[in-house]
Amino acid sequence: MKRSILGLTAATLALGAAAAQAEEVHVYNWSDYIDESLLEKFEAETGIELIYDVFDSNELLETKMLAGGSGYDVVVPTGTFLQRQIMAGAFQPLDKSKLPNIENMWDVIQDRTDVYDPGGEYSINYMWGTTGIGVNTDKVAEVLGEDVAQNSLSLIFDPANAEKLSECGIYMLDAPTETVPAALTYAGWDNPDDKSEEALDKAEEVLTAISPYITKFHSSEYINALANGDICVAFGWSGDVLIARDRAAEADNGVNVEYYIPSEGALMWFDQMAIPVDAPNPDAAHQFLNFIMDAENMAAASNYVYYANGNEASQEFLNEDVIGDGAIYPDEETLDNLYTVTPFGPKEQRLLTRLWTRVKSGT
Amino acid sequence: MPQTVFAPWEDPDEKPLIRFQNVTKKFGDFTAIQSIDLDIYTREFFALLGPSGCGKTTLMRMLAGFETPTTGKILLGGEDIAATPPNKRPVNMMFQSYALFPHLSVWENVAFGLKREGREKDEIATRVADMMRLTRLDKFARRKPHQLSGGQRQRVALARSLAKAPKLLLLDEPLGALDKKLREETQFELMDIQEKTGTTFVIVTHDQEEAMTVASRVAVMDEGQLVQVATPDRIYEYPNSVYVADFIGDVNIIEGAASQSGDKVLVTWAEGASPLVATSTAMLTKDQHCYLAIRPEKITITAEEPETTNKVHGEIIDIGYLGNISTYHVKLPTGHMVKAQSTNTRRLSRRNFTWEDKVWLSWSDTAAVLLER
Amino acid sequence: MRRLILILVPYLWLLALFLVPFLIVVKISLSDVALARPPYFPQLDLSGGWAAIRDFVAELDFENFAFLASDDLYWKAYLSSLRIALISTLLTLLIGFPVAYGMASARPEWRPTLMMLVILPFWTSFLIRVYSWMGILSQNGLLNTFLLWTGVISEPLTIMNTEIAVYIGIVYTYLPFMILPIYATLEKLDGSLLEAAEDLGCSRTSAFWLVTVPLSKPGIIAGCFLVFIPAIGEFVIPSLLGGSDTLMIGKVLWEEFFNNRDWPVASAVAVVLLAILIIPIVLFQRNEQKNREAGQ
Repeated sequence: MKRSILGLTAATLALGAAAAQAEEVHVYNWSDYIDESLLEKFEAETGIELIYDVFDSNELLETKMLAGGSGYDVVVPTGTFLQRQIMAGAFQPLDKSKLPNIENMWDVIQDRTDVYDPGGEYSINYMWGTTGIGVNTDKVAEVLGEDVAQNSLSLIFDPANAEKLSECGIYMLDAPTETVPAALTYAGWDNPDDKSEEALDKAEEVLTAISPYITKFHSSEYINALANGDICVAFGWSGDVLIARDRAAEADNGVNVEYYIPSEGALMWFDQMAIPVDAPNPDAAHQFLNFIMDAENMAAASNYVYYANGNEASQEFLNEDVIGDGAIYPDEETLDNLYTVTPFGPKEQRLLTRLWTRVKSGT
Repeated sequence: MPQTVFAPWEDPDEKPLIRFQNVTKKFGDFTAIQSIDLDIYTREFFALLGPSGCGKTTLMRMLAGFETPTTGKILLGGEDIAATPPNKRPVNMMFQSYALFPHLSVWENVAFGLKREGREKDEIATRVADMMRLTRLDKFARRKPHQLSGGQRQRVALARSLAKAPKLLLLDEPLGALDKKLREETQFELMDIQEKTGTTFVIVTHDQEEAMTVASRVAVMDEGQLVQVATPDRIYEYPNSVYVADFIGDVNIIEGAASQSGDKVLVTWAEGASPLVATSTAMLTKDQHCYLAIRPEKITITAEEPETTNKVHGEIIDIGYLGNISTYHVKLPTGHMVKAQSTNTRRLSRRNFTWEDKVWLSWSDTAAVLLER
Repeated sequence: MRRLILILVPYLWLLALFLVPFLIVVKISLSDVALARPPYFPQLDLSGGWAAIRDFVAELDFENFAFLASDDLYWKAYLSSLRIALISTLLTLLIGFPVAYGMASARPEWRPTLMMLVILPFWTSFLIRVYSWMGILSQNGLLNTFLLWTGVISEPLTIMNTEIAVYIGIVYTYLPFMILPIYATLEKLDGSLLEAAEDLGCSRTSAFWLVTVPLSKPGIIAGCFLVFIPAIGEFVIPSLLGGSDTLMIGKVLWEEFFNNRDWPVASAVAVVLLAILIIPIVLFQRNEQKNREAGQ
């Protein structure tokens, strides 16, 4: 009898241990967006099991957030999407008392993300970047001549250039929220964030003129296409183009890729970490955010993915090819030239989607 | 009876409709038909009879054009038809499965062949109506085959194959799927239709009764060869071999050795038993191995010893009661089993013989047929 | 009782897995888009009792359907999907019938193997198979490499990201659904029917058209529906293989749902798509019913 009670106690203890081990945090981040050794480090430090899942479109994430019950504790939407999801009540306010590392954050970025999340009540910045031009420098020089300004939006948005470049290939992001502001900037429109019908008409005019010369509208394939030398220009995200640049260099295939922040001005975007309102384990989620905001951890992530982060303290740990690269950390002057955009309302969004369908299908 | 007056095969001047000349058909290593010569005459109702696998269906399919002879010739009206495809032959076939087109109505089935000939609409309608009347299908014109009974389907198949008024109609086990009573009725219907239309019929069957009933001549086949070709009565009364005798009707076969004595033949068949007598025109050598075939109905069964030469004594082992007749299985002391039939003119209770009775079996000198093989 | 349960099972299945979800979709299609979680209004709150339900119903309207009718994008997308589905069904039939015919004419001992070969691709994920077509059809993919090597073409063909690639994808994916029902009817086809047709004056060709084709009609119809119905709402194939100008209702629905976040309009698109599909589905059911009756 005594023995069996002992046995029972042992079993109970074992169960308790299992329960403690089973503490989990579910993180949903963009694909290829972290140094995976950080994940193991987090588990080692906190004893929390980290379940890391990836997505590759804001729309997918947003649908999960709006539907609710996603089961994720930490998600990483882009600023415009974040703002809308905050309004829909998808996130819970952060408990700053659990986030001592928040003092590491960079006020320059914080000021800009205030547009989406005033005072950073719901989110912290993970990475930020620009949308610009990826160029196969030799090929473009060959087609358009040595003198052409490779860092100008006109490289893609001027139909004359686009027509010539189409023979060697142009890829463009399949994301109207990125391409429409760029088209407006190229057209000299005052406010690239203008969502009026006139502005959208203007953007459509610009985009329709070059649409026939676009090889493909796609938001990730251009990395390989640029690196392999299959295309000569891509309108894409900074970090992705830089990955292409490095891959080409590693392959030593004679392809030279550069990323340019357009001289006319470029869109600056922010990927923000936030905690869903129905997160199963908000406590662990806070621990994860705090872990990410650690200066060394954040630096490790940026060194790995070639994106700038919103963590000032991390900058001393960044590699020189990250902090020293104007394409990743632009200088003061360029930074002033970057703009941010706000989310589209339902009606405007529909107009935008239609516009984009028309542009892509050429009808 | 037409058989008695209609006998073109006995007229040497008569030209056959169909002539098989030394036809052989092989499927790979298997020989289905072994050098057959056969003539079939216009207006004949010719039966190919034999067990399954004897080659009768192959022979018919060669007539239809679905198979071509490996060697030899098939002449139809004097012309070699080897190269003529099935759809160009003045021959139609009624399939064993009937092969009615399930997606077409009875009317459309019957009209199918006529439409292929591109005949006038009115002409087709008249011809189909005639065929439907002939086969008593008038009421079923709009039905689909699956809405008909087995007998009705059989008649549709017949009407369809007759519609084009072929010179030769082939019937592959046409009554096989019908029950016995319907089969018997239909046999007479077939004969009636054959006579009315004057078409030459070749029927394939494994049912000897059917062949005997309908045919003007029967060809008994075995292993790709014709064993005997003759009228039904000759086949029955004068089989040319044990195989034919055994295949057609019931028969007792007694093996023995022959010894000639005038037009009578004495057959020694068992130690200690007196030889049996039969008449034969064949010349047999002394002690030649031979067979006696005696039909059970030609054997008389008596309690007393009869006054005839051919008699044996034995014990009744079994009685098969068939209503109108009874078959007695009698065991002889030599071990032979002999079947004898007698007509049941009396009531069962007053029947003469029963199990284990000792009886005498006897038959006349002409009752038994002497066979060399 | 036993019989009742047996009848109830399929109905409960239908109720739980089709009717209830469909009614939810209908309900959303009658709502309005809202910036909320979930992103539509009104929400049904059963705790509010009868009055709440009445208020809820009062809020529903057909605005989204009116919107669909007013915007030609949707009609174009429906028509384009119909066209693509019809053409792919026809192509699948043109390829599937000879394959099924060949299988049915093969020696019986070969048939299970051939059947296996038709089914075998299902052992691989559908997505992987479509992705491999991207590898085959792309500008410097297998097909172009091969054709250039043989010298048939001197310039690589542009197939990837065009409607042709969509047709190839749909035909490839749904071919077994065409082959199998046709094969089933052809295999059952009594060979003596063809002999009978020939005997009655048909050539081989006319026997094929007058007997084989009409008798395999149930299989052809079943195959066509099994291809047409999923093809019309197809999303994965046009988005992976198709070009940006391939307009299909599945893609439009995706955009409504994910890009526009307009669940109500997306639901309305789905409801209309179902209404369009109901016609062929009912026809299909009737065909099946007829076959069952004929089979008895």
